[in-house]
Amino acid sequence: MKALILLSSLGVITLLAEIFSFKKLLYPLVLLGLIATFVFNLSDWNTNMTYFKMMRFDNYAVAFTSVILVVAFLWFLMSESYFKEETSLTDHYALILFALAGSVIMVSYTNMAMLFLGIEILSIPMYILAGSKKNDLNSNEAAFKYLIMGAFATGFLLFGIALIYGASGSFDLAEIKDYITLHPANIEPIFYTGILLMLIGLAFKVSAAPFHFWAPDVYQGSPTVITAFMATIVKTAAFAAFLRLFNNCFASVSVVWVNIVWVMAALTLLIGNITAVMQSNTKRMLAYSSVAHAGYMLLALLAGNSYSSNAILFYAAAYSIGSIGTFCVLFIVAGAKGNEDVESFNGLGKSNPLLAFVMTAALLSLAGIPPTAGFFAKYYIFTAAFQSGYTGLVLVALLASLVGVYYYFRIIIAMYFKESNTETIPVQLNHKLLLIAVAAAIILLGLCPDFIIRLL
Amino acid sequence: MITTYLFYFLSFLAIMFALMVVLSKNPVHSVLYLVLAFFTIAGHYVLLNAQFLAAVHVIVYAGAIMVLFLFVIMLLNLNKETEPHKSVWLKASAAVASGLLLVVLVGSLKGAETIVQVNAFNPNIGLIENLGQTLFHDFLLPFEVSSILLLAAMVGAVMLGKRSIK
Repeated sequence: MKALILLSSLGVITLLAEIFSFKKLLYPLVLLGLIATFVFNLSDWNTNMTYFKMMRFDNYAVAFTSVILVVAFLWFLMSESYFKEETSLTDHYALILFALAGSVIMVSYTNMAMLFLGIEILSIPMYILAGSKKNDLNSNEAAFKYLIMGAFATGFLLFGIALIYGASGSFDLAEIKDYITLHPANIEPIFYTGILLMLIGLAFKVSAAPFHFWAPDVYQGSPTVITAFMATIVKTAAFAAFLRLFNNCFASVSVVWVNIVWVMAALTLLIGNITAVMQSNTKRMLAYSSVAHAGYMLLALLAGNSYSSNAILFYAAAYSIGSIGTFCVLFIVAGAKGNEDVESFNGLGKSNPLLAFVMTAALLSLAGIPPTAGFFAKYYIFTAAFQSGYTGLVLVALLASLVGVYYYFRIIIAMYFKESNTETIPVQLNHKLLLIAVAAAIILLGLCPDFIIRLL
Repeated sequence: MITTYLFYFLSFLAIMFALMVVLSKNPVHSVLYLVLAFFTIAGHYVLLNAQFLAAVHVIVYAGAIMVLFLFVIMLLNLNKETEPHKSVWLKASAAVASGLLLVVLVGSLKGAETIVQVNAFNPNIGLIENLGQTLFHDFLLPFEVSSILLLAAMVGAVMLGKRSIK
């Protein structure tokens, strides 16, 4: 709750900057605000407070909020230049902060009304920011596609919530759970239909196949910093919401949805990884890779055991940090070279060793190679799935990650083994800080994963 | 008794107008039929004794939003020539997918008449007083939080709308 209040008031304060002209101070103010929010959020640890029967800040919510806030801090380090454009500077800050407030709601809701509001508060700023390069046709396309498809998916979600309300007579997760346990034999068919419709709506938000069609276009068309936000924070929040609903509330009727999620996870893994191989545009490739990573997280959702929430938390953290690193390097390189093709990375190992090193670490982490965080993330996900007996799906996931190694290594090979006579790209100080932090986090989490894994 | 007849009459109209929205060729006609469909749904609200909801539904949906739709359609100047042609496969798969959704929904509603009523129906639930009680008591937090949503949407609309200073 403290996090929600702080973030939304920070958003309002940034809007006031236009009137009271302290726009210059906004960047440090927002960074400080995020740190303060992080500290206050941690003070909710183990309190398990419930607010208005609508949100509960249990350890699950606090842990996911902390991951989101850390990633948001890194994201702000990456995107200072995005907040340079004079006209809509405060709007950008405010929208991002409101989106963060929405993600806090999504990880802590205990009521369907809050879930819906959280998803919308996160999505609407994203629709707008996807189109924030107003003169770029691709950006317009991305915003438009995201808006139309997102609204469509929200329709499914709402319809599902309505049907569940029709059957159980409540929006409250605990009461819906009670309804299931009290009527084990005669649950209404509309309740099951409601679950399926909600599944569709949420699968869209996490871009799981076959509802991933929007993701590549939207990720490619949006400004790179916004793509990074979508690939990390939006995905983490959406998965936390997904898990909270399905592994808690709908767990006892899992017969209805496990097979569907099984197929979805397998499709997401295969389609995401195989299509990523065929991309020459790095940003589009990372978009498909982010689709593929949704598949791994679906595995833990499917497992639905005591490992699941820890596994998803760790995976979301490792994946988000790795993604922020890759997107930051891509942002710097594409900014200097003018295009996002894999060829732009040629010879980066010689000209910018730091960029190349961090990119390598981040990509290895995304691919799941041992000394990095990504390895343990995948390991825990697979353990969770194994414990629940999804051996076949784990095999599919292993094969898919082998394919993944191939396209991640294409960039690494381009950086170190391909020649090109480029000069050193100048790197800003905050980008340097971010890159070092990302590399350190990836290696630290890889060496001592116990940090996060025993939290929940 | 009369409410039952009214219910069937309004439902028939609602379904017919909804079909006309999809079937009519002219987009302006579609929007007008949608307005009529909204009116019939507002009638349903009145039958449920939810006058406030009915009034809001007419004012907001049939009034404001549909007028906006009409303006957009007129500004876009849609006609036959500019309409993109979809391939047969796309049309066929869309028909199959939505048909399947229809089957699922009809199948799930088939058993609906046997639903055990979890909460007894309170005929006064739709009156403004009760609505206010619910909104400002049980759903106070969502009510307050939706202000963030509206603020974000407004900021976004202004951001997209304003001209950048050179």
